[in-house]
Amino acid sequence: MMQTKKIQEQIAFTVFRLLGFLVLGVLLWILGFIVYNGISVISWEFIFSAPTDGMTGGGIFPAIVGTFYLIIGSTLFAFPLGIMSAIYTVEYTKNNWLTKCIRIMTNNLASIPSIVFGLFGMTLFVNTLGFGDSIIAGSLTLGLLILPVVIRTTEEALKAVPKTYRLGSTALGANKIQTIKRVVLPTAFPNIITGLILSIGRVSGETAPILFTVAAYFLPKLPHSIFDQVMALPYHLYVLATSGTDIEAARPIAYGTALVLIFIVLLMNSLAVIIKKRFEKNK
Amino acid sequence: MKRLIDTLIEQLIKMSGAVTEITVLLIIVFLFKEGAGLFNASEVEKGYTVLVHSENTVERLSPKELKEVFDGNIENWEKLGGKDEAIRIFRFDEIFSIYTEDELGKDYVLLPEKLEEVISADPTIIAYIPQKYLPTNLQGIKELAKMNISLTDFYIGKEWIPTATPAPLFGILPLLLGTLLVSFIAILIAIPLGVGVAIYLAEIANERVRKLLKPAIELLAGIPSVVYGFFGLVVIAPIIQKIGGLDLGETAFAGSLVLAIMALPTIISIAEDAMRTIPKAMRDASLALGATKWQTIYKVIIPFASSGIAAAVVLGIGRAIGETMAVLMVTGNAAVIPNSIFESVRTIPATIAAELGEAPGGGAHYQALFMLGCVLFIITLIISIVAEVISSRKIIKE
Amino acid sequence: MKKIILTTLTCALFGTSIYAQKIKGSDTVLPLTQKALETYKKENKSVAISVTGGGSGVGISSLLSGSTDIAQSSRKIKFDEKQKFAEAGKQVKEVIIAYDALSVVVHPANKVTKLTREQLEGIFTGKIKNWKEVGGEDLKIIPYSRETSSGTYEFFKESVLKNKNYMNGILSMPATGGIIQSVSQTKGAIGYVGFAYLNDNVKALHISYDKGKTFIAPTIENAKNKSYPIVRPLYYYYTIINATCKAFIDFVLTPKGQKVVSDAGYISVE
Repeated sequence: MMQTKKIQEQIAFTVFRLLGFLVLGVLLWILGFIVYNGISVISWEFIFSAPTDGMTGGGIFPAIVGTFYLIIGSTLFAFPLGIMSAIYTVEYTKNNWLTKCIRIMTNNLASIPSIVFGLFGMTLFVNTLGFGDSIIAGSLTLGLLILPVVIRTTEEALKAVPKTYRLGSTALGANKIQTIKRVVLPTAFPNIITGLILSIGRVSGETAPILFTVAAYFLPKLPHSIFDQVMALPYHLYVLATSGTDIEAARPIAYGTALVLIFIVLLMNSLAVIIKKRFEKNK
Repeated sequence: MKRLIDTLIEQLIKMSGAVTEITVLLIIVFLFKEGAGLFNASEVEKGYTVLVHSENTVERLSPKELKEVFDGNIENWEKLGGKDEAIRIFRFDEIFSIYTEDELGKDYVLLPEKLEEVISADPTIIAYIPQKYLPTNLQGIKELAKMNISLTDFYIGKEWIPTATPAPLFGILPLLLGTLLVSFIAILIAIPLGVGVAIYLAEIANERVRKLLKPAIELLAGIPSVVYGFFGLVVIAPIIQKIGGLDLGETAFAGSLVLAIMALPTIISIAEDAMRTIPKAMRDASLALGATKWQTIYKVIIPFASSGIAAAVVLGIGRAIGETMAVLMVTGNAAVIPNSIFESVRTIPATIAAELGEAPGGGAHYQALFMLGCVLFIITLIISIVAEVISSRKIIKE
Repeated sequence: MKKIILTTLTCALFGTSIYAQKIKGSDTVLPLTQKALETYKKENKSVAISVTGGGSGVGISSLLSGSTDIAQSSRKIKFDEKQKFAEAGKQVKEVIIAYDALSVVVHPANKVTKLTREQLEGIFTGKIKNWKEVGGEDLKIIPYSRETSSGTYEFFKESVLKNKNYMNGILSMPATGGIIQSVSQTKGAIGYVGFAYLNDNVKALHISYDKGKTFIAPTIENAKNKSYPIVRPLYYYYTIINATCKAFIDFVLTPKGQKVVSDAGYISVE
C-alpha cells in the first residue's frame, strides 16, 4: 500500500519536474532566439541615437524615452489608486455583497482585453476629453489596464498579513488607519512591490492600448509636454517587423529593439528581487 | 493635524474603493454608446441609396442579396422574386462615361436629372448612387426599402465583409467562433502545463531551484506580445506547416500555441503565489497524519489554493481571448467559420486592431468594431463571474 | 476634483496648440513620409513634426476633428467623408505626392510567370482554385490579401476585381511585410504588394489588362510610362495649413523630395 503511494508520488513528481523544464526550455528558446539575433546590433550608438535611413539604420533612443514616459505616467496614476482601493476592500469592507461586487469587477477589469482598453481610451481620453494622441491619454489608458493587477496583488499581500498583527496593534490602542500605516502596509510591502513590478513589465510591453492613443511612428524631436505623442518600444518593434518597405534590412534593428525591451523588463525585475530581499532581511 | 491627515487618507481610501466600479461603468457606457449606433445605421452604406426601375416588383433586398447581385453571382431578377430578366448593374461612376462634365452642369446640378434619365430608361437596372444626387422626380424610379442593420444579422450572420458595397455584411459568427476556438485550444494546452509547473515550483523543487526559476519565469511574463507574434510568424508557423504538411502555416493551431506560451508565465506565477500563501501548519498537519507529499499536494494544497488558481486561469483566459498583436500576426485572419484547427481563423481582437485604423470615424463599420468590443467585454464578464462562482463555492465546501 | 479636471482640460487645449504639427494616416504612405521628413530635417534642424500611422481612415477623421494637420492617405477621400468636411464648414484640399504601383507576387518556385486581370479576378474572388487552371502545376491556390479596410485592399479591389468582393474568408495580413513573409514560405500562395516591398524571396508576375495580348513587366519604368496598369496615387489632405507643414509639403514636391520618393521604391510625380 505504502509502496504504491510512493511510486505514485515518484511518477507525479517526475512528470511535474519534466513539465517545469519543458516550459522553461520553450521560454528560454524564445529568449535565446532574440538575444542571439539581437546582440550584434546593440551599441551605445544604437541606444542613444534616433532612427535613420527610413528605420533601417541608427538607433531607438526616442522609443526608449517614450516607453519610460509611459511607465512613469501610468504608474503615477495606477499605483496610488490601486493600492488604496485594495486597502479599502481588504481592511474596511466586510465580506458582503459590495466586496463581492468589487472583486468581480476587479477580476473582470483584469480580464478585459487590452484592445478594449485601447478602444475605450480612444473614445474617452483622445476624443471626449480632447487630449488627442498624447502621453497623458496613453498613460491613463495603460494605467487603467494595470489597475486590476495592482489591486489584486496588493489585496493578496494584505490578506497574507496575519490577523494577530492587526489585533495586537488595535490592542495597543492604535486606530484603524494607524494600524494600516504602521503595521499592515510595512509587513505587506515586499509582496506589494512584486505586484507593482509585474505591472510595469506589462506597461512596457503592451501595444494594443497605445495603437490609437499615443504611439507615433516617427518623431524627429523628443516630446516636451504631456500632450505630445511619443514613440514606444513595443509599437516600434511592431512597425519594424511589419510596416517598413525594407523589412529584411530593418530586421536586425527589430531584434535589437526586442532585446532592449526585454533588458528593461529584466532590470525592473532584478530591482524588485533586490528590494524584496532587503526587506525580508530587515524583518 | 496628524489626526486630520489620517482622516483624510481614510476618506480617500474609501473613495478609491469604488474606482474599479466607476471604470467598468465608464467602459460600458462608452463602448456601448458607440457600438449601439450600429443598429440605427442603414444596411446600405451611409450616404448612398439603391434604386431600381419603378416597374420592378422587387421592393427590398437583404445585404446578402445586394452583395450577390453586385458581385455578379445573381444575374436574374427572377431569383430575387422579380420578372425573368437579366439584371443590369449600374455603378455611380458609370454616369461619367455616359455624360461629359459639361452636360452635368456646374457643381453637378444636372446630375440627378441625368441619373433619372438613365434609370427610368431601363426596367432591368439596379443603380447604386449617393443619396445626395437622388433624383427629385421619382417617376419611373423606385428606391429600394432601407432597413436598419438588425441584431440577428449581426449576431448570427455568417459573413464578415465590412467593406462590401453597396451593403456591408457584419456577421460576427465566424469571428466569435474563431476567437473561442483559438483561446479554448490555448487554454487546454496552458492550464495543465502552467498549474503543473506551479506545483513543481511551490512544492517539489528545492529552494535554490525555485529562487532561480521563479524570477526567470516572471521575467518572461514581460516579453511583449509583439515579440511572441513575431517569433510565432518566423519560427512556429513554418514548423507547423512543415511537420503537418499543411497548405499554409498561419492556422488557428499556430495561434493557440503562441497564446499558450504567452499565458504560461502569468498562470504559473499567480498559481504558485497562491500555493505559497498556504500556511505551513496545513502542510505539516497533513504530513503528520501520514499523508505522502503528493497526497498533501492534491488533497490539501490544490483545494486550498483553488481560489488563486482560478484567478490565474481567469487571467490566462483573459489574456488568450483578448490577445491582439500576436494572434493578428500568426492566424492568417480569414473570416470563415473554422472546420478544423489547421485552418486560418480571424479573432475579434485582431479584427478590431486591424480594421479600426481605416474605418471612417462614426460610420457603420466603426460602430460595428465597437460592438465587437462590447461582445468581447461581455464574454470576459461572463467568464470572470463563472470563475468567481466556482472558486467561492469550493471554499464553502471545505 | 473639479478643479483638477478643469486645469487638466485647459492644459490640454493649451498643450495641443503649442505642438500642433502632426501627420497621420495611411500605413502605405508612412515609410515615405518618414524618409522625406528625415531628409527634410537635415536642412531644417528645428522642424517638429510627428508622423503616425493608423490608416487612411484614422488620418482623415483626425483631420476632421482637428487632431492632425496633414492626413496621409492611400485612397481618395470618400464621398461621405467629404460631406462631413462640408458639414463642418471646412474645405479639404488634396495633393498627390507620389504614385504606388502594386505587383502581384507568388512563391519563387511557382512556374506561372504571367496572369491576366480576368484570371486575377477569378483567383481573388475564389472562382479559380487551382494553379493548373492558369497554366501552373496541380496545386491549391492560396490567395493572401491585405486587411479588409486598408487603402491597398480597396485599390486592388477597384482596379483588379472591378469592384467585386473578395472571396469569403480570404487570408488577410495586417501589413504588407506579412504578405511577403507568407508568400515566400507557402508554395501555392499569391498576394499583392507595393513595388517598394519587393525582394528576392518572392516572384512578381507580369500582368495583362487587355485579355492576354500584352503582358507588362512590373518595373518602375513601365509604371512611370503608364503601361503597367495597377498604379495608384498617394495623397496628402489638409484643411488650413500653417507655414511649417506647407514648407514640408513643398519640400516633398521638389526634385529633392521626389528623389526620396523614388529611392524609397515609389514612383515620383512628374
